[in-house]
Amino acid sequence: MTNRELLALAVVGLPAFVGVLLALAPRRLLRGVAIAGAAPVGALALAFGGWALARPEDAEAGKWIVVDAAGGLLVVAIALVGLASVLVSPGHLRTSAGSLVSESRRERTYYTVLYAFWAILLAVPLAGNLGAAWLLVEATTATSAILVGFSGKPRALEAAWKYLILTSLGLGVALLGVVLLAAGIPTGGLDGLTWGALSGYDGDEETALVAYLLLLAGLAAKIGWAPVHNWLPDAHSEAPPPVSALLSGALLPAVLLVAWRATDALEPVVGASTAESVVIAFGLVSLAVAVPFLWRALAWKRLLAYSSLEHMGVIALGIGFATPLALAGVVIHVLGHAVAKSLGFYAATPLLVARPRASRHPVGGVARGEPVLGTTMGISLAALAGLPPLPLFVSEVLIVAGGFQAGRDWAAGVAAVLLALGFLGLAHALVETTVGRPRGRSAARAPGRRGLAVLAGASLVLLLGLTAVGAWLPGSNLVEILTEGIA
Amino acid sequence: MSGVLTWMLVALGLGVVVFRRRSVAVGIVTAQALVLAVGAFVDASSRDEIAAAAALAARATGLAVLLLLVVSRTREPRPVRAGVTPFARAGLAVSLALALIWLVPAIGLESREAERATLTLVAFGLVTVATRRATLLQVVGIVLVENAVALAALELPGASSLVIELGVAFDLTLVALVAAVFHERIFAEFGAGDTHALRVLRD
Repeated sequence: MTNRELLALAVVGLPAFVGVLLALAPRRLLRGVAIAGAAPVGALALAFGGWALARPEDAEAGKWIVVDAAGGLLVVAIALVGLASVLVSPGHLRTSAGSLVSESRRERTYYTVLYAFWAILLAVPLAGNLGAAWLLVEATTATSAILVGFSGKPRALEAAWKYLILTSLGLGVALLGVVLLAAGIPTGGLDGLTWGALSGYDGDEETALVAYLLLLAGLAAKIGWAPVHNWLPDAHSEAPPPVSALLSGALLPAVLLVAWRATDALEPVVGASTAESVVIAFGLVSLAVAVPFLWRALAWKRLLAYSSLEHMGVIALGIGFATPLALAGVVIHVLGHAVAKSLGFYAATPLLVARPRASRHPVGGVARGEPVLGTTMGISLAALAGLPPLPLFVSEVLIVAGGFQAGRDWAAGVAAVLLALGFLGLAHALVETTVGRPRGRSAARAPGRRGLAVLAGASLVLLLGLTAVGAWLPGSNLVEILTEGIA
Repeated sequence: MSGVLTWMLVALGLGVVVFRRRSVAVGIVTAQALVLAVGAFVDASSRDEIAAAAALAARATGLAVLLLLVVSRTREPRPVRAGVTPFARAGLAVSLALALIWLVPAIGLESREAERATLTLVAFGLVTVATRRATLLQVVGIVLVENAVALAALELPGASSLVIELGVAFDLTLVALVAAVFHERIFAEFGAGDTHALRVLRD
């Protein structure tokens, strides 16, 4: 086993170890262990992911573990969101009530399952085998469903049930695709399905196409691509805010990476144009379905959920266009979306304390009474809308330009129009939410204003830093290597 | 696997679509998985393949125990009505199966019969999840799809993988366990394991 593979195991093993500690720790130490454990887990994963991004030419692909730039990108995103989610969790647990388990086991169950989810999420981008990647994605369903329905309230139970059933069914269909692909791999067996081996598929071409479509349609149900996205708005809006952030900023793009790797690996078999067209179609449909909801007055977390549908569509377009400009856009978009969306979900904890009606109704004029909270929500929405000079503006321009560069003028043109409409919808929501007409009365002052201000400031610095990186990224070694293929 | 066994699996699958009682449906998918395990034992030619068949049998038994335990802990005063009559469900399931067989070209299994049976069971599983209101029957629908995948895996020309078979069995059991937790909570909250009560969230 190489040093990089050992480090990859450590990146996954450390959060799993903290999870075991949390399952065994005395009750009074739970919060301390969770917070103290987050720092080394986050730091190790950030360093590892950053290293993989900085040295893309040193990629390693083994039978079970792959360490490359695309995986490093996702590890960085998962590390950032996981770290922040653990740090803001005590605030959520303090200000909320109820759970699936008894009060005495509430905190322990939450932190243990959260760490298990974090560990499995970190493993997904490092899986060097389609079979192993499927197993890990299925395992994220079991752990995250518990977190989605954690409050035990009827609406959370409904969201968790939909999430569990629809994504498990989708993954069942994806597994059929995996099994069919295994039949055509010379090495034989499901464990021979390394990303590299997929390119060597020597079965019937039509069968490969059926298998690819089954795989992608199944994964789409988990990524939240339209038209199989029905669970997404419910799960994101009913989960505890730190979990919603992990679902949106980490889980969806991590599963999307599995689809990206499979697409890349199977391009020589099913045809590059066909494979890319399927991904582009999912992207355009997701954008088209999301945009009308961005124009509606929705509850805060539900608005963010539909924005996730839009952004997974944008990333799909970048992967489908697969040109240097588009892939530079994908890198910026994955990180920018993770930071901006998480910030929005973290703001939901104080928002729901100050305005409990916000769980089901749109909010307005938050910045008038709660400047810190309103500004935080504003930064998140402005970034998600793609307001210049924030990074999602840069990434969306790069992806659309990449579409024209790929010669897919029609798709790029439609995407540009849909993105402009989405921008207008979210810009309207931004004005209404922050400085618009106040809706509903405040029940209390928003708690944790100082912590939120620090989080918003750090996020803004990260977002502006990403914008700067966006100017340098096209033409870089990283993008060149991503363009050559990630499988 | 012989043609008789393959079509027995399909007949059992149709039973899941039409029967009302949860315990009967659990019994049927368990019998189906055990038939698959027996077929796998008969066809096994290496130690790994025997172990993979054992994993399949263990998964079937484990899930049966879990789901029957859940049925006994959440006794419904009467079966949850599906909203779609058994005859209509069967018609829908058979139509979807025929459409899939017609649309999907050869998928590389050892016989065309096995390919048709696999696609039919996937169709039955999808229809079960879409048309049954009882929460537990939706889980049974997912198990039905996984049984279809197990059939496809057994009918692959290549060797099966013990690691992945074990992983799939573990993952499916984990998902069923979480589903059981939610089913019990839904039963406690709404007085029935009926997805009709779960229709508040919509835009």
